[in-house]
Amino acid sequence: MIAKNLRLAPIAMVALPVATLMLAGTLAAQTAASSPQAAIAVRQANYKKMGAAMKTLNDQLKGNAPAKTVILGAAQALAMAAREQPRQFPVGSGPAAGVTTDALPNIWTDRKTFDGQMARMIAESAKLVTVINGGNMDSIRVQAKATGATCAACHRQFRADT
Amino acid sequence: MLSAPEPRFVRIWDAPIRLFHWLLVGLIAFSWWSGEQHEMEWHRLSGYGILALLIFRLYWGFTGGRTARFVQFVRGPRAALHYVRSLGQSDYKTPEGHNPVGGWSVLLLLGALAAMVTAGLFAVDVDGLESGPLANFVSFDLGRLSSGIHGVLFNILLVLMTLHIGAILFYLIGLRHNLIGPMIHGRRRTADNEATASLDASPWKALAGIMAAGLFTYMIAQGFRL
Repeated sequence: MIAKNLRLAPIAMVALPVATLMLAGTLAAQTAASSPQAAIAVRQANYKKMGAAMKTLNDQLKGNAPAKTVILGAAQALAMAAREQPRQFPVGSGPAAGVTTDALPNIWTDRKTFDGQMARMIAESAKLVTVINGGNMDSIRVQAKATGATCAACHRQFRADT
Repeated sequence: MLSAPEPRFVRIWDAPIRLFHWLLVGLIAFSWWSGEQHEMEWHRLSGYGILALLIFRLYWGFTGGRTARFVQFVRGPRAALHYVRSLGQSDYKTPEGHNPVGGWSVLLLLGALAAMVTAGLFAVDVDGLESGPLANFVSFDLGRLSSGIHGVLFNILLVLMTLHIGAILFYLIGLRHNLIGPMIHGRRRTADNEATASLDASPWKALAGIMAAGLFTYMIAQGFRL
């Protein structure tokens, strides 16, 4: 018994601290995600991804022969990041959070409208992926415009114009 | 009774320079307005107009009328200092064309505008929806940086334009010397004994410059996708 335990000891000596660290890490990540500052960081990173994807898409559509794989990749990145966004606006993550944010306070006072805009963004960006898979370039241009319009409409209402 | 001598006029600004100046004033105002209103289609067109004007001005600085040429008005700091000191003296002597300080003001204004137009060509908005015609050559982050620089340069341009207008008012009120009239009609009242040489502005050279500026601007506006 004793010998067996002794043989296990070296493994336990490595495994235990690793397990503890992993647990601590998970807990830290959970608390971080719920803090307003962390939410601001996450949603800003997501918006940057979406802006970059939109630029890639529009750069391609400006030309005569857009590359389908490129615009599909951009649209997928856009749709994926869009689905992440609604949960990144917890109460208290407005301008009062002490972190620089262009999020206007009316996001939290007019939450229903804001959520409606979010839903529209998610729906239009998802549709964009479908339309690109369809392959009709005219429809793709129309849907890219419609998707962009949801960004602009929401920004006019809920984002500080800097 | 002695009648006053007929006032004599000397031409100091050629027509292309005056047209350049007032079109620039209009387009800067329109660019500001369209930018503030997010009328980006108009804002881009207005920017192309300014770009064409700047290309023409650069060309005209080597081929235009005497007072339009860089060699005539780009002077060293010593000449500028000497000129500033001469302003304090009672009898103000009008230099032909730009004075040595005004020359620097012109270079700064043109430089700021050129930098601003260049930044605009690569700029991207926060949504990745609107962009300059050359933005596809840079990343989203660089495009955003370019957009930021575009905005900062506008504030610098505002300072330079304020100085420009302030100087004109100083000449008008302080030195009783009207600079606005000549920029409109091209002529300045002159003393009898002053030599009046022609400006030598060739309309054919002007036409060639306008066409070259137009073509160049068109190519840039198309993002070189010809």
